[in-house]
Amino acid sequence: MTLGYFWSILFLSLHAMVPITLTAAGEVVGERAGLFNIGLEGILLLSAFTGALGAEAGGWPLGLLVGIGTGAVVGLFFGLVNAYWKGNQLITGVGINLFALGFVAFGLQALGTPGFHDVPRDVRLPAIQTPVGGLSPIVLLALVVPFAIHWFLNRTRAGLWVRAVGENPEAADVAGVPVELVRLLATTFGAALAGLAGAYMAISWMGSVTKEMAAGRGFIALATVVFSGLRPILTLAGGFIFGFFDSLATWIANIPGVKEAVPWQFVSTIPYIATLLVVTGVIGRVRFPKALGVPYRRE
Amino acid sequence: MPEPLLKAEGIVKVYPDGTVALRGVDFDIRPGEIQGLLGENGAGKTTLTKIISGLLPPTLGRILLGGEPVRLRSPKEALARGIGMVHQHFALVDDFTVLENIALGTGRPADRALRASVAELMERTGLRVPLDAPVENLAVGERQRVEILKVLSRAVRILILDEPTSVLTPVETDELFGFLRRLKGEGVGIVFITHKLREVLEITDRVTVLRRGEVVGEVLTRETSAEELARMMVGAELRPRGRRPVELLTDIPRERREAVRTGVEPVLVVEDLRVPAEGGGEAVKGISFELYPGEILGIAGVEGNGQTELVEAICGLRGGRGSARLRGREILGLPPLELYRLGLAHIPEDRWKYGLILSFTVAENSILGRQRSPRFLGPLTVLRWGEVFAHARELIARFSIQAPGLEAPAKSLSGGNQQKLIVGRELSKEPDVVIAAQPTRGLDIGAAEYIRDLLLGLRDEGKAILLVSADLDEVLELSDRVAFMYEGTFTAVTTPAELDRERAGLYMGGMRG
Repeated sequence: MTLGYFWSILFLSLHAMVPITLTAAGEVVGERAGLFNIGLEGILLLSAFTGALGAEAGGWPLGLLVGIGTGAVVGLFFGLVNAYWKGNQLITGVGINLFALGFVAFGLQALGTPGFHDVPRDVRLPAIQTPVGGLSPIVLLALVVPFAIHWFLNRTRAGLWVRAVGENPEAADVAGVPVELVRLLATTFGAALAGLAGAYMAISWMGSVTKEMAAGRGFIALATVVFSGLRPILTLAGGFIFGFFDSLATWIANIPGVKEAVPWQFVSTIPYIATLLVVTGVIGRVRFPKALGVPYRRE
Repeated sequence: MPEPLLKAEGIVKVYPDGTVALRGVDFDIRPGEIQGLLGENGAGKTTLTKIISGLLPPTLGRILLGGEPVRLRSPKEALARGIGMVHQHFALVDDFTVLENIALGTGRPADRALRASVAELMERTGLRVPLDAPVENLAVGERQRVEILKVLSRAVRILILDEPTSVLTPVETDELFGFLRRLKGEGVGIVFITHKLREVLEITDRVTVLRRGEVVGEVLTRETSAEELARMMVGAELRPRGRRPVELLTDIPRERREAVRTGVEPVLVVEDLRVPAEGGGEAVKGISFELYPGEILGIAGVEGNGQTELVEAICGLRGGRGSARLRGREILGLPPLELYRLGLAHIPEDRWKYGLILSFTVAENSILGRQRSPRFLGPLTVLRWGEVFAHARELIARFSIQAPGLEAPAKSLSGGNQQKLIVGRELSKEPDVVIAAQPTRGLDIGAAEYIRDLLLGLRDEGKAILLVSADLDEVLELSDRVAFMYEGTFTAVTTPAELDRERAGLYMGGMRG
């Protein structure tokens, strides 16, 4: 392998890192507040689709906004059902995933492009040109967001509230923190970041929408949250590990000789297996918020 | 007489499940007065104070603050109006540091200004805690100090304390009382909930007694007596003191028991037991003792000096080094189920964590730990429910447990009845050694006396009992021998007869005997 390959794999890894890291960092906020959103996969897919539509209607800025907005709306729904109406978080999340699968498949069909929809080049997010290739600005954003979230959770009053409602909602309630509202906002924020990640995939990274484009990244993000021990900065590491193996797999699958001998579907399992091995292997004692997944009811 | 700070009129509270907790209660809080709120568990004390502090809405009735009717929709509103409450079950975030918890409680950022004002508050009140330690590493007594500091750092005019002394040592209690008197002098109205009559007589100015959701008496402390208060509180149902449950009554005189003990092998021998502390270091630093059949060995001491770790290591819930032998067999590191087979029963300190599964029914809880016993387990691991129910009924009858039914969840029982259920279940294992950790904490007088009598009865039957309690009076009253625990070691092992309260206080404070 020449040094050129190394740099290009590293570069591709950064791009593949973005959806995992953004989604996981957002989910860290939601989980710190006590809500466990298993519907991230669905949010990625939905917002990729709506983001693409938005971009085609009004350019990439609208595309990004629509993607974020889609995530936020789903997050708001998830938060209302679970923070306010004390629903079952697992079932709500699964519902979101199933809805997204059906809706996007249907939407692609309705556009007349079943299975695959190309986002025109002129409405995609412009890349920053570098010697190695085009760099999406969202990559830079994804490198900053986990640090911002870390600062928010540990240094601000609102961050204290988020952690309090996830750890001991009774104590937060007694302290006058509006438990349901904080949970709603936290999970909405997390879902909005997943929405940004979805839009990024469609209008920046891949430049297309397919009905299987989320490809389990929502779940890998959930695994990354566990791996990080709910520390946002570590979602960068989790995201990068996946991104690296994802890029490596793409590279391996295209090596002449390998391409003919091994089905690419087989090679593309590498990032999932590698990520899960690393992520589960590294996990030490992870301390989850005590009230994670538990609806808060005043006695 | 000064105008009341707060008046509650005709408060009725019916819980959604139909339980009537309060049946029309009138109550007022006056400035510069410490008011005792007395009543058994389930009398409605906590419900009443939760309503006053905004945590629960009343079903009927109104609350007047400074003469104006108010609706307190949340603890935040109550706090904003100067009503602060320190709950019996602490409202602390375990994962947070002390300072972060106070920040949460005050709505201020955890910054230098807050640190300075809390430090000043600690100085003024004498309630000292390490500000940067995570709350989960603190002892229960320290956590309570955090709770009080949290409330005090708001400008409260009404301070409600729900059983504040149940986790404190005599010295800490004295400090708290001194502090409450100063606070009273500043014009704060204080409501003090307790079960301990001596404390009511010592610290309060006025006492309100609740029974079954009604006010049954309101008296000035200087015009009443412990006897009168006890009568009001428990009504006519109070068992004559000292009467023991019939089936456990074996009145062997103490001299004979001691005669029997000479030449008797100890049933439990602990040697140089060391248990690591959670934050590093050792919580138990090399403790040795022997426990004989037919005796109660009491372990007294300020909470957080390693008692919890000691008990958990012996009971298989925590690792430890050294040796603990039950009838000659090494038991350190054995799982709890094996210990039960060997004849060790554990009445755990945290009855919600280790004692019961609250959402399970009374019947299910009655066989926890015994689910594999052939009596309850049929072919194909199907439980014999007939036997389970029969067993639960036996426990209910034998230990006079008040339960709505065999299939009622354990959480629907009052604290005293939950504890009776645990104790009954543990004793049904027919143990030789009973480890009782804080067995009467938070129980009303009737239930606590019942448990104490039960322990005495067991001793008379020849069981060996290790009693760990933060209640010094309890330890002195029940124990044949007393050990004092301080920072992971025993400062003294003696008999209650050779002790006075002052000496006991010295041992608890770390002086060696």
